[in-house]
Amino acid sequence: MIYLDYSATTPISLEVLDTMNRTYKEYIGNPNSINALGIKSNELLHSAIKQIADLFNILENEITFTSSSTESNNLAIIGTALKYYKKGKHIIVSRLEHPSIYSICDYLKTIGFEIDYVNNDKEGLIDFEHLRTLIRKDTILVSICAVNSETGVRQPLKMIRQIIKKVNAFTIFHSDMTQAIGKTTISLHDVDLASISSHKIYGPKGIAMLYKASDIKLTPLIYGSGSSNELKPGTPALPLIVGFSKALRLANEDLEKKEKYISLLNDRICTRLKKYYNIKINKTRYSIPHILNISVMDVMPETLMHALDKEGVYVSTNTACSSGEISKAILAIYGDQKRAKHTIRISLSSMTTTGEVTQFLEIFDKCYASLKVLVK
Amino acid sequence: MKRVVIIKYGELSTKSDNINFFLKTLKNNVDKKLEGFNYEIKYDHGRMLIFTEDVLQVKNKLQEVFGIHEICDGYLYEERSLESIKTNVLNIIKDLEFNTFKITVKRSDKNYMGTSITIATDIGAYVLKNIPNIKVDVTSPDINVIVEIRLNEVLIYAKGIPGLGGYPVSTLGKGLLMLSGGIDSPVAGYLAIKRGVKIEAVYFDSPPHTSPMALKKVEDLARVLAKYNGGEVKIHVVCFTKIQEEIIKNIPKNYLITMMRRMMYRISALICGSINAHAIINGESIGQVASQTLKSMQVINEAVKMPVLRPLCTYDKLEIIELSKKIGTYDISIRPYEDCCTIFVPEHPVINPDVNLAHEYETLVDFDSLVYEAIKGRTILHIKDHKENNFSDLL
Repeated sequence: MIYLDYSATTPISLEVLDTMNRTYKEYIGNPNSINALGIKSNELLHSAIKQIADLFNILENEITFTSSSTESNNLAIIGTALKYYKKGKHIIVSRLEHPSIYSICDYLKTIGFEIDYVNNDKEGLIDFEHLRTLIRKDTILVSICAVNSETGVRQPLKMIRQIIKKVNAFTIFHSDMTQAIGKTTISLHDVDLASISSHKIYGPKGIAMLYKASDIKLTPLIYGSGSSNELKPGTPALPLIVGFSKALRLANEDLEKKEKYISLLNDRICTRLKKYYNIKINKTRYSIPHILNISVMDVMPETLMHALDKEGVYVSTNTACSSGEISKAILAIYGDQKRAKHTIRISLSSMTTTGEVTQFLEIFDKCYASLKVLVK
Repeated sequence: MKRVVIIKYGELSTKSDNINFFLKTLKNNVDKKLEGFNYEIKYDHGRMLIFTEDVLQVKNKLQEVFGIHEICDGYLYEERSLESIKTNVLNIIKDLEFNTFKITVKRSDKNYMGTSITIATDIGAYVLKNIPNIKVDVTSPDINVIVEIRLNEVLIYAKGIPGLGGYPVSTLGKGLLMLSGGIDSPVAGYLAIKRGVKIEAVYFDSPPHTSPMALKKVEDLARVLAKYNGGEVKIHVVCFTKIQEEIIKNIPKNYLITMMRRMMYRISALICGSINAHAIINGESIGQVASQTLKSMQVINEAVKMPVLRPLCTYDKLEIIELSKKIGTYDISIRPYEDCCTIFVPEHPVINPDVNLAHEYETLVDFDSLVYEAIKGRTILHIKDHKENNFSDLL
């Protein structure tokens, strides 16, 4: 098996799994209980939270756990909308967001919010001038992902923040960092709100977090009791949180070294695929190496994907969350309908070996050759 | 160019005979606080210079150290020509927000051309020419740019942030803080530390009447205080259950609190003796509860022969709350776990206790041996300012 779909989800790290196993077995108390077992669980919970806070240099109470980045995005955007609708009902997002962001915006439109989409340039970078003109007095939120999930284009969040705050100091800046964390260095202090997921960094599935700077208020979407965090009432998912915390720590070790290695793998694949006239490589100078997007213009991407599947090679078309649709991000960057319809995403990890890359290229050649013949 | 953080001393600059002891202690405290950073300290009687690249973090850390009046961001240049000083001053202040300014020149190298005043005027004129809409104000400027021309270098610094003030901790002896878990006692401890007193704490545990969470709460409070107390607070955990139960069984209800407090004082005084502390410190505030009327304080205080410091005695509750929020103990204090003072509170405690009656009641129970037993059985917790991770194998 050659797994090249790490940006869809990652296999869990065995170390993390071991931690979770032990937590499930040894920390049975509810962290909200005040008996001795509860206290023991509570201490572990707080150590896990503190480890995350220290990693990002933020405060412990700036972390809210959710079930997924999609939930984090909901809490960030709808929570802001409900809290600040009296100040304004205008929200700006980019054209390079995860589909969940667009679904949330579509919902908000039905209850009277106005959504604007900021353009990007040919390299995938946010058009700063356009952003500046879009921000108004009643703009309560701007949401721009740190790394686009299809092309890997990374946005300069710090600069974007400066632009936003200069035009309207009250506009909140949210970033979906799901594809950035554990891949490239990120500062949470560049944003007010950030969505971060565990299953993209070799952690357990079913857990994610929202970073919320302490000066920002959100209206909760869920109501209940028993937690010190009003945004996420209920019993904390201790084993998942502990696993997530460990996965974050491991993912942030040797980040630059890993990035360099993956860059080499990425270059190798690109060099090889460039020889095909009908394959376009959707990579700009702002793409991180972990995500490699190509458009195979003369073959349907699903067909190619299935052919690769049969050979034990796993890649995706578009992103896992919107398969079958035209790629919004590729369309936004290249303005080419066909190119956007024919995308395949190859995502790499520091666990990917050079041997796997060689094998992948061979299998790819074989599958592509056999399908190309049919088209002609 | 090198980055420097400049510490200006607070009140301690008035100490003449033992200023070296104060400064050495301050330096030790700063060293402890900056553990793990890359830095170098030089100091004299005027100020302390910390050479470091991690300016922001170092400044943050220094805001937890007593004995510091002001923390300034400084720049040290080897280039000493007047032209370079002018451009450097401009570079440093051009991004600061201010309307009025002043340039103060100090020359430790008296051979440097001109007088301090002419140099200052020169630099001021240059700044005025290059930044629009600002004025000179020598009496109360928004920023005072200080240019120190030294033998081989020039030190320039402008705006500072206030330090915590007070005296370096450990310069003025040791005290024992009666730490309960409420809002007041940690604030009282903080204020004692502020005046240079190193504190240890005593906590009266009363299981099963009090929950282990109450002790944990006290540990977390001590952890906050440890930040200011040189990195650690020792807590003497005294099991008070037996004494409390004997009092409840044998002594009239309205004297319950009076007798409990007298026993706590006695135990505290004995601990003070064993750790070489010179005072008991607590969070009492006049009139706040029945045991804190002046008469009550007198009768309770009579149980011991050593000073009892009550830094909060004249504070209003709201003032105490405000301070506790500032130092970061409030959120911990309001966690809902009762300590041994708040359980078994009689409906009508005496507010005018009689000392003779107190003496009489003390003969009803063999308190001497109970007190001895309690002190002998105490455990001592060493609470560090950073929580040690007990879960490193898991996380």
